[in-house]
Parts: sequence; structure tokens; C-alpha cells
Amino acid sequence: MGYLEVRNATKQFGASFLALNGVSVAVERGEFFTLLGPSGCGKTTLLRSIAGFNDLTSGEITLDGSNLRIVPPHQRDIGMVFQDYAVFPHLSVFDNVAFGLKPRKVPAAEIKTRVTQALDAVRLGAMADRLPAAMSGGQQQRIGLARAMVINPRLLLMDEPLSNLDAKLRIELREEIRDIQKQVNIATIYVTHDQEEALAISDRICVMNAGRIEQVGTPQEIYGNPQTRFVAEFVGTLNVFQPGAARDGMLNQLGLAAPDDASWAVRPERLDLVAQGSAPAGAAVLEGRVSKFTYLGREAHVQVETPAGLIVVQLANPGMAATRAVGEVVCVLVPRDAPMAFGADGARIGG
Amino acid sequence: MPRFNFWTVVMILTWLLLFVLLFIPVGSVLVSSLYDQSGNLTFANYLKFLGEPRFHRAFINTLVVGFGGLFGALLLGSIMAFCVSRFVIRGGKFVSLLAILALVSPPFIGAYSWIVLFGAGGVVRGFLRDLGINMPPIYGVGGILIVFSLKFYPYVYLMVSGALSNVNRSLEEAAEGLGLTPWQRTFKISFPMVFPALTAGGLLALIHAIADFGTPRLLGRGYNVLATEAFTLYSAEVGSNMSMATTISVILILVSMVFVMLQRYMSRRNVYHGNMINKPNRIQLKGWRNVLAHVAVYLIGLCGAMPVIISVIYSFRKTNGPVFQNGFALQSYERILFNLGDVIRNSVSFSVAAVVLIVIVGTVVGVLVARRTNFNTALLDGAFMVPYVMPGIVIGIAFIAAFNTGPIVLTGTATIIILSIFIRRLPYTVRTTASSLRQISPSMEEAAISLGYSPFQAFLRITVPLIVPGIIAGGMLSFVTAINELSSSLVLYVGSTMTMPVRIYLLILDGDFGTAAALSTVLLLLSGCAVYIAFRFMGRNEQALL
Repeated sequence: MGYLEVRNATKQFGASFLALNGVSVAVERGEFFTLLGPSGCGKTTLLRSIAGFNDLTSGEITLDGSNLRIVPPHQRDIGMVFQDYAVFPHLSVFDNVAFGLKPRKVPAAEIKTRVTQALDAVRLGAMADRLPAAMSGGQQQRIGLARAMVINPRLLLMDEPLSNLDAKLRIELREEIRDIQKQVNIATIYVTHDQEEALAISDRICVMNAGRIEQVGTPQEIYGNPQTRFVAEFVGTLNVFQPGAARDGMLNQLGLAAPDDASWAVRPERLDLVAQGSAPAGAAVLEGRVSKFTYLGREAHVQVETPAGLIVVQLANPGMAATRAVGEVVCVLVPRDAPMAFGADGARIGG
Repeated sequence: MPRFNFWTVVMILTWLLLFVLLFIPVGSVLVSSLYDQSGNLTFANYLKFLGEPRFHRAFINTLVVGFGGLFGALLLGSIMAFCVSRFVIRGGKFVSLLAILALVSPPFIGAYSWIVLFGAGGVVRGFLRDLGINMPPIYGVGGILIVFSLKFYPYVYLMVSGALSNVNRSLEEAAEGLGLTPWQRTFKISFPMVFPALTAGGLLALIHAIADFGTPRLLGRGYNVLATEAFTLYSAEVGSNMSMATTISVILILVSMVFVMLQRYMSRRNVYHGNMINKPNRIQLKGWRNVLAHVAVYLIGLCGAMPVIISVIYSFRKTNGPVFQNGFALQSYERILFNLGDVIRNSVSFSVAAVVLIVIVGTVVGVLVARRTNFNTALLDGAFMVPYVMPGIVIGIAFIAAFNTGPIVLTGTATIIILSIFIRRLPYTVRTTASSLRQISPSMEEAAISLGYSPFQAFLRITVPLIVPGIIAGGMLSFVTAINELSSSLVLYVGSTMTMPVRIYLLILDGDFGTAAALSTVLLLLSGCAVYIAFRFMGRNEQALL
């Protein structure tokens, strides 16, 4: 039994829209748990139901074994970090962070030490007396983080906290969030639509789509062993082979088989380009012409027109020699363990 | 099934308030217009309105001054807005100040100052006659239109300059890149973007021009409009005709409503939410263009503020009775001090009482409208539009019609004046409170709730402090409107409840311009203080004055 448990959560908006359709998750103590999915998939609705800002239509939420749904939101003792920071503009940085300690009747001296510690943890110690209005988005979100952590909540919720920040700051702050979370060892539920962010920050990821859970697992499981075609396409990129003689020939050569209506796909970084005609044992070769070459510094993408459709090959550390001209004839090497098969319902076959 | 809680009570009380202060008076006006003097149900009043040339003329005249004022205000306001927001104008802030002066200048004094300058014995006219130039006096429809244009242009100016400085520059640059000439850019890109502001400002000018009673009264010289006809019919010592006055009131309301609907219809599609990343630059003009822009802006600004300037100067002139002498003295102020203290006291205490009521009720109802969105509040929001289209004179007549007899008798009391101001200004406060609440992210209160505050505490500790500066500022601006309110008080006052604008009106009718000017200056000073406080609380924001 998990620390936080959600069982069969269903949330209906209006007559027709089902935001959550029978969702069950369990989060352990100290775990960093991420809800990942496209907008409208229900991840924010689930988070807000745990916070208490909207109630489920049906289902159960328990925290540490006790029913959470009957507790009003302000008594749930759950810290929350918001996408738009929600920093109080009329209070100083210090007062923002101290705000949650006052209803908890913490003595003034203790407030001072705890707020100072929290501000130091988010590296805002020198700005305690400033008003937040003129501060940058990154600094405001640090205030939001300190404010949610300082009350020692039973659970920390974060609703796309980094999505309004620029790319570089996003990476920097996500590392900090991860470090602080490990230090204070608090169960955290993090909502994002950014798959790279989810992979980098999480202990476990729950991929959601259209109000349902697609897959729950560690970042390695989600990326390396996706259980549905949706997960494989949403996390990372995917080449899908066109059905036909060329594909079937390649699968035969590799000794792979699946029902007729299954689709086969492969990740670009599992492929390679080889000299014409040479196929090592346990691999197959697709011949084709280069239709696009994209150089990205630490990698390069070569789009190849093969009889089995357009296939993108990702080359790591491309040197000068890796450059391909459009129209050049190349061979795509497909290792035997690279292709993944998905049934007509989207579920993974084998794997 | 709605729960019976605090907000349900507020909702019921709000409807009760609207019922007593709005629906009953408006209903009384409607009912009264449908009965003749002896109490029989009849359409005779409306037939009389349709039949008598005197009313036809007043109706046509009302439309003439309405549209004349509208076009004059649009012309002057857009020229000034365009110049100030697109070109470098020295003393741009001073120009805005002149516009504010014109906006908060006490009623009547405008018309009278123009008479002082260009009337039959006008100073400027006399001076020109000495030079051999003979110009006609300012009386009649021409004079009314000049005064309206100069009095109402700030509505257009403030609306349009706000919109113009928010047009994303990239849009115009994109048009430039596509090969449009500056003129084409102005008319195809900038004009559609500011069109809603233009129509909104124009509507304000139009509605005020239709409702204005003092200017045609003083300058018209027989050029009667519906507002003056209604007042004449109501106030005639002999043969006062209440039912005909209410008939005209109903027609005035209808005319105003038609224009509000028209404006809404015209600007329904043109709502642009520009992002403010790329604000337009002001261009430094050179040579004669620069001179022309400065002359235009300052000419409009100074002419608009002229009445204020004249009345301040004349308030310090030496007088002998009502006749001005050479030199300066404080006699006019002495007369105010010794004879008119109670008028100032009345004005201030009525306005303060009205503003306190407006702020409290307006804020609570504004929260209701913003936070409890359902069918009832949408209806409420609509009901609050009604006072907006009711000219002051109509509110006054409606209150007399409703509270002269029957269960609640209020005529002759201070309460009726306070309530008439209250109901007219309440919609603005409800709207501004509701819109400022809608701008506060709901996650702000949610953050407080997640930190352990109950929803009510979260509202009190987070939302209230954030909207209080706006509420105080709005209250100050309501004070400006309240203390300058003339037309409804003119219908509702008795000797003991006379206010400053009413007194100024009577003084001007008596020909005592010195005392009127001094009283106007005091009024202006009070308004100025309120505007200053408002700007201190919310930053300099001229658009809030509208």
C-alpha cells in the first residue's frame, strides 16, 4: 500500500467531458513522481483533486492511510507550487515564505530561522526584504518553492512549475528542485508536458493520455521499454515502418514476427548507416536515398527514403566525414533488438 | 439547489436595492407617462409628443447636438490622441493635465466662460470689434457644438491614446514590409485596432451631449433639447406637467439605449488583445510639421481648459455687487465664506456619504459578479447597465415620480440626493471591482489555501489587499462625479439641501459670475485633490477617469 493512493479516480466536467477516466496511482514516501502527458490529458485535474481544489466525481484518495477527500483543502497540509508562481505581490519575499507558518502558530523566533533556512536553500537569502514584483520568473518560482517547502507539508505538488521559464533556466532550476527534494525527502508529484524534464527529474513517471494512464515506470522503463505506441511516440521520437514487402522482408531477415495488423517502429538512435551491402549477423539493411541532412552539433539526423518509408537515423558525435549529401545512396542498419511491435489497440507486443 | 449562504443574501439584497432605486423609479416614469393629469390611462402624452412641432424640434435638436458633439469630440480627441501618442510633443504630460482639467471642470461654468469671452458683451468679441472684425455672438446651436466638442473631447482622447499606445509596433512594421504607404498603414492597420476605443469614447461623448442640460440652457437661447424641455415641463411654476416631463424622460432613455446598443454592435468583432512586447515609438517631427502638431495639441488643450482658467481668474477679480471692477480682490471668496458655507458643507457631506455607500456596496456586488458566475449574476451585470444610459435629469424626475407619495416619501431630503448619486455611480464601481478581481490569478488564493488558510481568510488576506488601492482610487473618482453632479440635484434639491453645482447654476442665472467663479474654483480644488489621491493609489492612469 502506497503513501498516497488514488483509486479509480473519475472526474466529469459538464455532461460530456471526462477529464479522468478511472485513474489509479500509488506514490511512495520520498518518491519523486511525475505525471506526464499532452495538454488536456487530465494530469492537472488529478493534481488539483489531490490538492483539493476540485473534487472527484468518484474514486478514492488516501494519504498515509486516511481518506483525503473529506478534508477541506486548507487542512490537507499539502504544499503546492504553481505554474504562474502565485507569489503574493504585496508581501516581501520573507513574508511570502512565512505566510504558511502563521496559521500553524509557529513562534516568531522559529519562523525566522525556518524562513531563513528555506530562502538559503533556494539561494534567495540576500533578497528576503525585497518585494517580488520586480524579480525574475526564476526567482519568483524559487519563492514559490521555498514557501511550499517551509511548512514541512506531507506532500508536495508542482503544476508545471518551469513551463514559463526560458530553456537554460529550466534545466538549472530542475536540478535544484531535484536536489532539494532529495535532501528533505518529501513525496512529490510533479506535472509536466516536457518529456525530457520528466526523464531528468523523476523516480517514476506516469504517462497519461485522454484521462487514462498509459504506463507507469522508471524513466528507463518508460523510454527504453514503452508499453504502448502512445508512450513510445510521446517520449522520444519514433520511426514507423510502412507495411509492405520491404518491411516484411526485413522482419523475415531478422527473424521477427507479429500479427498482420501490428505496426513496427524503431527509435532513430538505434539505427546506423553502413557501407553498401555489408550486413553483419543478426541485423538487416535497408537501402535508400538521403532526402535530408540536419546537423545539430552533438548529433545529426539523416532522413532516408527507403522502400519501408521515410526513416530518420540519428548519428552521435558526427564528424566532418558524417555529412551526407541529398540524393546519396546509403544503407540503414537495423539491429535485431531495435524494432518494437504494437498491436492495433496500441499495446506493445512482446518486449 | 443553491445553498443559502452569505452570497445568496448579498444577491437578494442587491436585487432589492436595484428594485427600489432603479426599477421602481424607472417604472414610475413609465407609468406616469401613460396617465394624463386626471389619472386616466392614455397614450395622449406620446401622441402629443409626436404631434407637437415643439417636441419634434427638441427631438431633432437633441440628435443634432448629440451627433455634433460626437463628431467634434471625435475630431479633436483623435487629433490630440494621435499627435500625443505618435509624435514627440514637448510637455505631453501637461497636455494630458489640460484634458483632465476639461473633464473635471464643474458643469455650467464651461458654457458661461464662453459667454464671458464670446457672448453679446464678450471680452474677445469686444476686442475684435475694436479691430473692426465683427463676429456673431456664440449663442445658438453653433455655440453649443463648440462647447460640447471642447468639453467632451477628453473622452475620445483618453480612450484612443490608451489604445494607440498599445498597438503592437510589429503590426505596422509588417504592413510597412508589405509595401503599404504611411496613410494606408494608418487606415488599414492602426484604425481598425483603435476602432473599439474610438467608438467607446465617442459613445461617452454622445451620451453626455444628449444628457447635458446646462449648456443648451445657457447658450441655446431658444434652442431647446429634450433635457431642457423635460426640466422646463417639470419645473414650470405654473402648469407644471409631470406626465409630459416623464414622457420625454422615457424618450431620452430610449435614445441613449439605442446608441449604447449601436456602439456594442459596431465594435462587436473588433476586440484585439495585443501583446505589449513591442510598443510603438514616438517620432520626432521636424520643421513645420512639428510646429503644426504642437499648435494643434496645445490649441485643443488650452481651449478645452479655457473655462477653468477663466473662472479661476475671474474668481479673484474685484467686484461691486455682481459687477466686475478693475483689479483683483478676494471678495468673491469672502462671500462664499460668509454666505455659502452650508452649500459647500452639503456638497461635501452628500458626496462623502454617497461615495462610502458606493464603495461598500459596489465592492461586495463586484465580488459577487466576478466570483459567482451563473445566470443570475449575468443578469445582474446587465441590470447595472441601466443607470449608465439614464441622463441625470431623468434620474431626478424618476426619483420624484417614485418617492413623492406612496410608501417611501423622500422628496426634499438629503437622502434622495445621496441615493440618486449612488445609483448612477454604482455601476462603475461594480464593473471596476469585478474586472480587477478577474485580473488576479485564482492560483493566488489557492496558494494561500494550500498554506493553511480557509477560503474566506485567503480572500481577506490576499485578494482584498490587492484590490484595495483600486477601490480607494475608484472611490475618489466617484467623489469627483458626485460633487460635480448637477442635473439630478437640480430636480431634487430644496432650499436646505442645495449643493455647490446647483448654487453655481443659480448664481449664473442671477448674473453673479464672480461668486460663481469662486465657488467653481473651490469645487475644482476639491475635485483636483480627489484625482490626485486617486492617481497616488493607482499610478497616473487617465483612462480611469472615464
